[in-house]
Amino acid sequence: MKSIYQRLWLARAALSLFFLSFTISAMQPATAVDSKSVNVFAASSLQVQYSALAKKFEAARPGVKINISFGSSTTLASQIVAGAPVDIFVSADQASMAAAKSEITNPTDYVINQVVLAVPNNSQLTKISGLNGNVKWIQCAHTAPCGIAADRALAAEGGVKGSPVSYEASASSTLAKLLAGAVDAAIIFKTDVVANKSKLRAIEFADSQAASSQYQIGIAKSAIAKKNRWANIFFLYLKSSDIRKALSKAGFQVDSLK
Amino acid sequence: MNSKRVDPLSRIFAYLAICIIALPILALVIKVPWSTFFSGLTSGGSFTAVKLSIWTSLLSAAISLVLGVPLAWWLVKSNPKVTRFIRPLVLAPIALPPTVAGLALLGLLSRNGVLGSYIYQHTGWQMPFTTTAVVFTGLFIGIPFLVLIAESTFAQLPEEIEDAAVVDRVSQSQLLRLIALPQARDGITTGLLLAWARILGEFGATMMFAGSMPGITQTWTIQIYQQLDVSPDTAYALSFFMVVIAMGIFVLIRNPLKDAFRR
Repeated sequence: MKSIYQRLWLARAALSLFFLSFTISAMQPATAVDSKSVNVFAASSLQVQYSALAKKFEAARPGVKINISFGSSTTLASQIVAGAPVDIFVSADQASMAAAKSEITNPTDYVINQVVLAVPNNSQLTKISGLNGNVKWIQCAHTAPCGIAADRALAAEGGVKGSPVSYEASASSTLAKLLAGAVDAAIIFKTDVVANKSKLRAIEFADSQAASSQYQIGIAKSAIAKKNRWANIFFLYLKSSDIRKALSKAGFQVDSLK
Repeated sequence: MNSKRVDPLSRIFAYLAICIIALPILALVIKVPWSTFFSGLTSGGSFTAVKLSIWTSLLSAAISLVLGVPLAWWLVKSNPKVTRFIRPLVLAPIALPPTVAGLALLGLLSRNGVLGSYIYQHTGWQMPFTTTAVVFTGLFIGIPFLVLIAESTFAQLPEEIEDAAVVDRVSQSQLLRLIALPQARDGITTGLLLAWARILGEFGATMMFAGSMPGITQTWTIQIYQQLDVSPDTAYALSFFMVVIAMGIFVLIRNPLKDAFRR
């Protein structure tokens, strides 16, 4: 005769799975409801700099948690409009910020980035028109800020007849494919070339105005309504001259577009 | 077992198939940066993402088990005129592209979704961008896997035992608990393991429906995708464990599978 426990193996299996999942979830610090946590949505082109400065900010202020969701500004804006919990939004262009205006207030111009044609250091390419040769190149999708700037820059330049082999979802995935050697060239933000100058060099577009993208920063209406103190402090910190200086070192222009 | 009975042509095709599957997996293991293996895993929130993935996938698997086994039993025992329409519906997520699954979940539960708008108006709460959304996506993907395998196991059970039990006047709940479940144990275990692996590996639907916020919705697979852009080494290290889990599951279920199909 089997014991009752042996007969109830299904219930035991389910119970032990529940138990295991709750045990592991208890090891997880609760970030969502903590008022000492700040949710930032930022353009993927800021990933390297922002990851580093968020870590620095957290280290200096124990207990404060900065969660950053990186992605294409267009995607982030649509998530924000759909109700994603956000305190601060940093977009790579004005259009994405405008798209999120129902949730984000006080948007201000932040920094300027510029798209360039990036190639590996040992590449034969020296001119934008070189794209007409036997070259495999990529750019960001027409919906992402880096793609919108690339379209504008190519149109101003004129003369490039071919088309890219892929339209990538975000600035960071475009860079990753170039770094991985999957393509010969990519139109990416200048800051990504600066960050990888041991491997990449930039070929600039003649019309730098057309190639530029104005980054904007804004704070969420909900963060103000909830009086999220740390969101406000981090917001001011991101806009501080120290951070702008660091960003200018990374290749961003800190003055506004004329 | 006698591999000498395999003709040369089949043998060549079989070896080719092995290469197509094994070489990419081998390449992945070769690309793992062993020197920075652990620093890669602990940096950039990777550990947080792994932990989130493991507990949410276990929770989804547990709920899938509790709901999926009764559904499989109901499908086997109910009027085929009804189940003919229900079965394709509940198994569809297995064959659905993840983007479509994500869109379906958004369509129902987002703030302006069919049900979500109602919930949002009355409670101010919405499921997208929460950990609940990660678990719910797991259910949507996991239950069908469990049902598929549990149902085929139930359907293969010998009818004589069940008929004898009915003659002996067992109750409905006893029929499932004492007669069907003990015999279907290995099949259900296989279904559970496959469902769990599928939930753990879920990527597209989660990213669309739940988003990607560290500690809340950024799962293991989303972290792999995002690390590929900034630190490919970390992406390879994170992927290595997924390979270990995937292969481990098939080592585990080899025997239950054999038993399940021998009947």
